[in-house]
Amino acid sequence: MDKTNSRAVARKNLRKTVISLLLILFCTFMLMPLGWMISTSLRSPLKAFQLPPSFIPTEINFENYRQAFEKVNFLSFIKNSLIVSVSATALQLVASSLAAFAFTRINFPGKNVVFIMFLAAMMIPGQVVSIPRFIVMSKVGLINHHLALILPAIFSAMSIFLLRQSMMAIPRSYDEAAYIDGATKLQCYLKIIVPMTKPTMMVMAMQTFVATWNDFYGALIYINDVDKMTLPLGLVQLNGVMGTGSKAMIIAGVVISLIPSLLMYCFGQRYLIEGITIGGLK
Amino acid sequence: MVTNAEIMRAQKKRRRKDTLSAYLFLSPALLIYICFFVIPIIMVGYLTFHKYNVITPAVWNDYKNFIRLTMDKRVPLTIWNSFKMVLLICPMHIIVSLLLALGVNSIRNRTAVFAMRTILYFPVLVSVTAVALAWKFIFSTDFGVINWFLSLLGCDPIPWLQSSFWAYPAFMIFSLWKNVGLYFLYFYIALRGIDRSILEAAELDGAKPARKFFSITLPMISPTTFFVVVTMLIGCMQIFDEPYILTNGGPGDATRSFSMYIYETAFVSQNYGYACVLALIMMAIVLTITLIQFKGNSWVSYERD
Repeated sequence: MDKTNSRAVARKNLRKTVISLLLILFCTFMLMPLGWMISTSLRSPLKAFQLPPSFIPTEINFENYRQAFEKVNFLSFIKNSLIVSVSATALQLVASSLAAFAFTRINFPGKNVVFIMFLAAMMIPGQVVSIPRFIVMSKVGLINHHLALILPAIFSAMSIFLLRQSMMAIPRSYDEAAYIDGATKLQCYLKIIVPMTKPTMMVMAMQTFVATWNDFYGALIYINDVDKMTLPLGLVQLNGVMGTGSKAMIIAGVVISLIPSLLMYCFGQRYLIEGITIGGLK
Repeated sequence: MVTNAEIMRAQKKRRRKDTLSAYLFLSPALLIYICFFVIPIIMVGYLTFHKYNVITPAVWNDYKNFIRLTMDKRVPLTIWNSFKMVLLICPMHIIVSLLLALGVNSIRNRTAVFAMRTILYFPVLVSVTAVALAWKFIFSTDFGVINWFLSLLGCDPIPWLQSSFWAYPAFMIFSLWKNVGLYFLYFYIALRGIDRSILEAAELDGAKPARKFFSITLPMISPTTFFVVVTMLIGCMQIFDEPYILTNGGPGDATRSFSMYIYETAFVSQNYGYACVLALIMMAIVLTITLIQFKGNSWVSYERD
C-alpha cells in the first residue's frame, strides 16, 4: 500500500516537473525576441546585427536611441500618437457614457431602433467602411489631419454596449432620490452614474488607448505627411527610407513604442484582464 | 382643481422634454455614427455601380465592377490566402494555448502564475506593426536570428519571407508569439471557471486524468473554444498588418491577404468602385461567420442553472 502511494506521489512530482520545464521553455521562446530587440537596440549601430545575436544586453550603447531622436523626429511620432490616442479615448468615453445613460435612464421613442442600429455597426469590418470614409475625409479636407483618426474612433458600439450593461446594474432608486432633491438629468449623470461606472470606464479606456496607439491601417490611409505620422506608421516609413547602416535605429524605435503598452500592463492589469472577461465571453 | 386634461398635457410635455434630452445625450455618438458608419455604408452601395477615383466625379459604369469581379482570379486567390492563414493558425493556437492554460492552471505558486501570464500576454498589447518590423530582422535569411540557430544545428539558411512556402510557417511563428497570450487567457479564465467539485467527484469515481479532461474539462470549455475559433476566423479574414509588413504580399501574390488586395485596389490603384465590390464580399463573409456564431451558440454546452 505504502509503495503504490509513494510511486503515485513520485509520478505526480515527475509530471509537475515536466510541465514546469515545458512552460519555462515556452516562456523563453516568448522572451527571446523581446530580449533580442532590447539588446540589439543597445549595441552600437554598426555592430547591431552582427552574429552571434545577444538576448541579454551585453553592451550599453545609446547611440541608436540618440539617432532616433536627433536624426529623425521620433519625438513627433510619439507626440502625434499621444494626441490621437488620448483624445480618441477621452472623447469615446464621454460620447459612449452619454449614450449609455440615454439608453438606460430615459424612455424615448426610437430607443430600441437606435440601439439595434448601433449594435449592427459591430458586425461591419473596418475595412469595408474605410473606403467611403476616406472619400468623406478627403472631401471635408481632413486628410493629413489627426481628426481623421480621432473622429471615427469616438463612436464605439462595444463601449456603448458595455457601459449600458454596467449602468443597468445601478438601481433606479439612486437617480429617483436625486431627482426628488431637484437634480437635473445632467447632474444625475455626472454625480451618480459616472462615478458608479468608473471601473467599466477604466476597462474601456485601456482597451481604446491600446487599440488607437497600435492602429496602423487608419494612419496608413489618412496620413502621408511625415510630421503628422503616428508611431506605427512612422516606424514603417523609416524602415522604408533608411539605408542598412541605421536599421538598428528602427529596433530602438520599436522598443520605445513598446513602453506605453508595458506601462499599461503594469498599472492596469486588473482592468485589462477584466476587459477580456466581460468583452469576450458573454 | 387639476383637471384630467391638464395632467395629460403635463405628461405630454414631460415626455417631449425626455425625448429631447435623450437625443441630446445621444447626439455625440449618433452624429459620429451617422457620419462615419451610415453615410459610408450608403456610399459603398452607391460606389459599387460606379467608376470613381476621388478626383473626377463618379461615373455609372454598367455593372462593369461586377463583371470584372467574375473574371478577377486574384479574388479567389487572395480569399484562399486569408483562409489558408486561418487553417494553419487556428489549430496551432487552440492546441498551444489550451496546453499552456492547462499547464499554468496546474501551478499553485501565485508569483509564477503572475509571471507567466505577464510574459504570455505582453506581446498581445503591443503594436503588430512595430513588432513585425523587428521580426522581419529575426526572419532575415542572412543575418536573422532563426537562421543563426538553424546554422548551429547544421541546417541551411531558410528564405523565410522570400519563399511562397516558408512564408506561411513564418506567419505561424510570428502569430504564435504575438497572439497566443490572448487565447491562453481566454482558456485560462474558462478553466478557472470550472467548478472544482465536479472534477473531485470524478476523481472519487476513479476517473483518470485523460478521462477527466475529455469528459469534463473539454465539454465545459466548449463555449470558449467556439468563441476563440469564431474570433480567429473573423480576425484572419481581416488580416492586414502582418503580411503588409512581413512580406508585402509577396513573393508574387503568395501571401497577399484579401484585405490587402482591397487596400491596394482602393488606395494604390485608386479604383474605389471596384474596391467597394470587394469590400461587400468581405462583409458577406464576415456576416456569414457571425451568423454561424449565433446559430452555433446552441451547439456548444453552456452551464445551465
